[in-house]
Amino acid sequence: MTIQITGTMILQGIVSGLLAGGVYAMVALGMALIFGVMRVINIAHGTLLMLGGYTTYWLFALYGMNPFISLLVSFPLLFLVGVFLQRFFVSRVVGAPELSSLILTFGISIFLSNMAMIAWTGDYRSVEFLTGSFLLGPIAVSKPRLVTFCFALGVTFLAFFFLNKTKTGKAIRATSQHRELAQVCGINVRRIDIITFGLASGLAGVGGGLVSIMFSIFPEMGRNYVFKSFLVIVLGGAGNYLGAFLGGLILGVVEGLASLLLTAQLSEVIAYVLLVILLLVRPTGLLGGRR
Amino acid sequence: MAENLILEVRGVSKHFGGVTALHGCSLALEPGRIFSLIGPNGSGKTTLFNLITGVERCDKGKIYFKGERIDQLPPHKITWKGIGRTFQVIRVFPELTTLENLLVVSRQDWEPSCRRARELLSFVKLDQLQGEFAGNLSYGQQRLLEFARVLMIDPDLILLDEPAAGVNRTLLNDLLSAIRDLRTQGKTVLIVEHDMKVVMDLSEKIFVLDHGEMLAEGAPSIIRSDQRVVEAYFGR
Amino acid sequence: MKRFAWAIALPILTGLAVMPFYVSNYIITFTIQTFMWIALAESWNIISGLTGYVSFGHVAFFGTGAYTAAILISKAGWYWFPAALAGSVTAASLALIIGYPCLRLKGPYFAISMLGLNEVVRALVSYFESLTGGGSGITLSTMSSISPLYYSMGGVALAGCFITYWILTSRFGLRLLAIREDELAAEAMGIHTAALKLYAFLISAALPGIAGGFYARYVSHIEPLGTFPLLTTITMIVMCLFGGRGTIFGPVLGATLLSILQELVWTRFLFLHEAIFGAIIIFVILLMPRGILGVLQQRYRLPRTI
Repeated sequence: MTIQITGTMILQGIVSGLLAGGVYAMVALGMALIFGVMRVINIAHGTLLMLGGYTTYWLFALYGMNPFISLLVSFPLLFLVGVFLQRFFVSRVVGAPELSSLILTFGISIFLSNMAMIAWTGDYRSVEFLTGSFLLGPIAVSKPRLVTFCFALGVTFLAFFFLNKTKTGKAIRATSQHRELAQVCGINVRRIDIITFGLASGLAGVGGGLVSIMFSIFPEMGRNYVFKSFLVIVLGGAGNYLGAFLGGLILGVVEGLASLLLTAQLSEVIAYVLLVILLLVRPTGLLGGRR
Repeated sequence: MAENLILEVRGVSKHFGGVTALHGCSLALEPGRIFSLIGPNGSGKTTLFNLITGVERCDKGKIYFKGERIDQLPPHKITWKGIGRTFQVIRVFPELTTLENLLVVSRQDWEPSCRRARELLSFVKLDQLQGEFAGNLSYGQQRLLEFARVLMIDPDLILLDEPAAGVNRTLLNDLLSAIRDLRTQGKTVLIVEHDMKVVMDLSEKIFVLDHGEMLAEGAPSIIRSDQRVVEAYFGR
Repeated sequence: MKRFAWAIALPILTGLAVMPFYVSNYIITFTIQTFMWIALAESWNIISGLTGYVSFGHVAFFGTGAYTAAILISKAGWYWFPAALAGSVTAASLALIIGYPCLRLKGPYFAISMLGLNEVVRALVSYFESLTGGGSGITLSTMSSISPLYYSMGGVALAGCFITYWILTSRFGLRLLAIREDELAAEAMGIHTAALKLYAFLISAALPGIAGGFYARYVSHIEPLGTFPLLTTITMIVMCLFGGRGTIFGPVLGATLLSILQELVWTRFLFLHEAIFGAIIIFVILLMPRGILGVLQQRYRLPRTI
């Protein structure tokens, strides 16, 4: 049975994908911050997202808390988790060969996801809070996706505001641009590391909460998101935070179109091939950034 | 293009994000002489080295080595053509022994490589430490090892990035006489250096880089009295 | 030193060679699995321990070899031994296709791209159902005796050790170490890093390819979920790190110890398997980054070829 691919369907795919992309962008921003400041690739980033998702889920399932309100809980909670991980584990490999931080965060991620599996079983869960869609012309706009997109956008703007207008935020950007120079200027880089990791974890946690509303969550979901976040960073260019944001949107769109035109399995292959091609052709990302 | 130039850099520019590291920079080296490249911090000296050795790509401009265009080649091919360099921050291979640090870069057979490596180690007076891991050497010893390593590949043009930094007086004298030795062997040397005494002593010609542009070039005596150079270093 | 090594190795090898005649099937089975882990840990060691490029998707090569062998045996009537060897060819081909682009990336970028590889290969296997049996997999006839598999798998493990020894005593190996230590400097000194990394990657993929081929014959039934689990990659990484990455016998030590531990303790706590491995990884990286043999190497100034 062949399906006619109409222009409407394509537009539908783009819109749906764009909305999902907002979350990717926000999560990838966190990972980009960690990489920028500490040169650490945080493989546990997806696992932090997963924890945030479960926070929202349980607050909803046990206490009926509005999942969007629960984001006010997941952000500080995951912030603290991030601070803990950075202070006691990750800080020891900042400055060590990148191999070490990769493997360490990898170890942390499998430990945490296994623990989550034991605690909450491997069942897929989702937060049935917002369902359905409304019609915008010929396009069906999914309500959960639209609202989560708005939230993701909002949180990302808050993050950008923090990075650009506050003293700590500027210190973070300074450290990510030139660590030694920042130290010389009197910035306590160890403290910045902790704050950055906490901030990034908080962003991941919020992302997880939003994902639980849009899609579903399960303990092993982290891996997928790490890969996607990385793809986003590469799309936008390492060190280019605005680029990461746009990259997230692009990924969302590509995924939306791919799942429309191909099976779900192959759309993963698409993401992978896209990454490899991109890394070959333009390793500094579409918008250019540091090497 | 003059036939007798070993290296010719023509109008190269390089940007990093919003920062212009080099702009319209040109430089020409005659073979068999010692040159210095000086300039205040951030003037683009190491970037120029990176462009010549292929570690970075020029945004604009061309680079010629022995008349052949090299700016599009990958770093290892440029090295094979006959350009060797040392680094500002020491980059020996810490978990290889001193001897292995030299053996690993050689393209000759095992036997002749070992012989040549041992000769070079004696030359820089590190032969006693040949079995020691390079990571355990002192700073000055590592500098000498890096120097020996670049000689191991027998380049015609040698780029030295701050060879005197952090080296004590005695070792420094050994290093300087080694560099002069290279000239007698017909090699061309380009040194980036901040130590003005070293620069004035060694160089036959000095290039001055400031904010990514070539400010002045000439014999040491001329540069020393050039007002623009003084201003570049000390401001107006 | 060499004589000392042979004095230890010879009795062990002889013992292993005659063991199948004297011990129970259970022990033979367990040893086959340990041989497999040794081969896998050694192969990971080549690309990640020696060259410093962390491969998170290495099980993809194992699974590719397994499926190649299974398809050749069931669909083309091949005998299992050459079918497994063919597994190394497909695995190496996959490594070539992936490695050629991905190895141009610097370390961390390479590692992440490898994370995705596993999932992609699994997805592809599920997709090409007619060839691979899709989700239900491929079943082979049962074997009458597993002794041939014992010696085959043992051979792969041994090959892993010998290959690593050969690499570490050659200039090729020295250059790989240089790449691990400082790739930029290595490149600047004229070492053709891209080509060397690729060779190392191909070798490190061929070994799991054969091991996977024998594995397919050994378990007689393979399907995507069981053949490409992340746990396999995790296990070979932990074993290599724990025993000592960058050494020859580190992976052997790590594989043997953890295999025994796995069998004795954790099959009872199956659900904690990954968590325990995760904890070991964290422990090793923070406190013992060079692994057991690495620590001994440093302490007692042992040669590189242990």
